[in-house]
Amino acid sequence: MVYIMFMFLFGLVLGLAAVASNPSPYFAALGLVAVAGMGCGVLVGHGGSFLSLVLFLIYLGGMLVVFAYSAALAAEPYPEGWGSWPVLGVMMAYMVGVCAAAGLFWGGWYEGAWVSADEFAEFSVFRGDIGGVALMYSVGGGVLVMGAWVLLLTLFVVLELTRGLSRGALRAV
Amino acid sequence: MTPTHFAFSSTFLLGLAGLAFHRTHLLSALLCLEGMMLSLFIALSLWTLQLNSASFSASPMLLLAFSACEASAGLALLVATARTHGTDRLQSLNLLQC
Repeated sequence: MVYIMFMFLFGLVLGLAAVASNPSPYFAALGLVAVAGMGCGVLVGHGGSFLSLVLFLIYLGGMLVVFAYSAALAAEPYPEGWGSWPVLGVMMAYMVGVCAAAGLFWGGWYEGAWVSADEFAEFSVFRGDIGGVALMYSVGGGVLVMGAWVLLLTLFVVLELTRGLSRGALRAV
Repeated sequence: MTPTHFAFSSTFLLGLAGLAFHRTHLLSALLCLEGMMLSLFIALSLWTLQLNSASFSASPMLLLAFSACEASAGLALLVATARTHGTDRLQSLNLLQC
């Protein structure tokens, strides 16, 4: 269990180094999918299964799918993956930087075992994160309405941004 | 620093470095921004879970909702750039060059 958690945390850092090392956007989206999967594993290991499910559904299944087919806008004849030297060199440089920072910040922690949330509580249907998210619908109703309003506003923002073609705000004169 | 704290902190800083340095495509910069949002979601969720404060778990949900707004605005800008400039390469955004 400890080793799986270490592997997920390492995969998190390695995956985002793979995204940040400037490959072609096809591969960067793939790296981000892997990072989200590792992050879901970390959350599940801590007992937050509902938040992990939300991450998978909304982030991977909603937002990253849109990024994946928007990658068609970034089409180039010779896409650079992690096999080509500039990308791999930058990724290795990032990993060396992370290892140097790890050597600097290591120490100061004692336990290597993770205890999941409300492990020692009584048996209950309301696990830690599910009961907390339910508060968003009861006492947090105001911020829920505000979030829905912001999402509706974003729809109109997006429609306005992509309306103009050459009459809009973004143009090449 | 615990390994978990170090992992999501370095994930955030790697995404920030990827956003700031040597981009060719606008979409790569948007993907690094999404990686930063992902690390923030993981950080807030782990705060909730490790400190057993269940009432804080509405916070990563709201972060995800607002980051969806931001991602869609960024993608709308990407589409508008590709439609006016023909490509999303950052070299073609040179109207304000000196």
